Amino acid sequence: MNVPEGDLQRSRVVADAAVPLEAALDRRLTGYLALRPADPLAPDDSGGIITVEDGVPVVAYHDGTERGGTAALGPLADSGPYRAELYAAEAADLAAVHEVEELRVAPGSPAEQVADAPDLARRARERAPAARESADDDDAVEAFLADEDRIADIKRRARAEAERRAAEWGLDDAVDAGER
Amino acid sequence: MVEAFAVASGKGGTGKTTSTLALGMALADDHDVTVVDADTGMANLLFHAGLAEADPTLHDALVDETADVREATYDRFGMCIVPCGTSLAAFEAADPERLRDVVADLAADADVLLLDSPATLGSKAAVLPVVLADRAIVVLQPTVPALSDGLKVQEYALSYGTEVAGTLFNKVHDRGADAVETADRYFEGPTLAEVPDSDAARAARAAGEPLLAHAPDSEAAAAYRRAANRIDVRGGDGEAVADRFRSAVIPDPP
Repeated sequence: MNVPEGDLQRSRVVADAAVPLEAALDRRLTGYLALRPADPLAPDDSGGIITVEDGVPVVAYHDGTERGGTAALGPLADSGPYRAELYAAEAADLAAVHEVEELRVAPGSPAEQVADAPDLARRARERAPAARESADDDDAVEAFLADEDRIADIKRRARAEAERRAAEWGLDDAVDAGER
Repeated sequence: MVEAFAVASGKGGTGKTTSTLALGMALADDHDVTVVDADTGMANLLFHAGLAEADPTLHDALVDETADVREATYDRFGMCIVPCGTSLAAFEAADPERLRDVVADLAADADVLLLDSPATLGSKAAVLPVVLADRAIVVLQPTVPALSDGLKVQEYALSYGTEVAGTLFNKVHDRGADAVETADRYFEGPTLAEVPDSDAARAARAAGEPLLAHAPDSEAAAAYRRAANRIDVRGGDGEAVADRFRSAVIPDPP
């Protein structure tokens, strides 16, 4: 994904993607966040980009998987802790990439799906222009439901988690019943 | 003859309590229905059912093992309702494991038990209603977090031997209808209903009445009635169900 060269505003190592997302929202940044694994041994292409307009996420792209839009958010969530950089850029220079439908994400999706921060997602949605929200949310749902691998992965993880916790909680009998 | 359903969602705000009471009222046309607010940490069923002042509540039965849960059972809107209190102190004093005995006691007098379950999978107490129920009704809305968490609830239920009776889609707007059709592939059981986004549910909540009492002619109420019709209640042996609840092996936390 081509983003215009921006002016570096800050660069931090953070455990949680909520930190740069919140910083972008608070300073009403127009530009982008570059998220790379903080691990210096991680491959160069294992990070990604989330652009923001007035602090609100617009498009997302993950380099390693070459996936854009909602599909980029899962891989980005798995990349932390991060070296997070905030860049300012001109809205006009971002317009071209913002028009690519496949890259667009709902305003609250990065906070929800990369940072697991529902309050931050709510703030991003409130800040977003009204016209964006419902259309982008529907697109996000559509993209989510089209991603069979991701859904299979959610199910697999939930099963593993349920079974692991059953052991912790002494619910083994219930799991046995489930396997009958 | 009783079947216990956990009305569950992984996320708050999906309309789970509204759905529990609406399904309860609709099922009460043909069955003896008892609705239990099993969301003991974030109780709100009492506000939906005009029972804000109720005393005693489920909390009392969870705190004191000699307390009879039947005293916390209120006949309202054609159903038996067991509200839970909102006091943090009572929540902390309550023993969530007693829910097994409470459910077993209630099972003796009902055809249908609806457990309004916590909107989280974060603790054993939160998961317990899904473990205890025969079947789960998964409440969804067409947003990514609600669908994602609904999938998790479904997999937890299936892992614990609880079947899925179906899904209930709330707050569906025009474009969201396509999502319901696609989502159906990933969930067990039928889509019981698509409930349109409407002001009726909010007005009912504000009035402290279940939707089917407050706005029986609304489109949303009709959708819940259709959902109830699609649930084929299986009458289990009440005593056997009660024994199963009592004997669920759940040791004290470490």
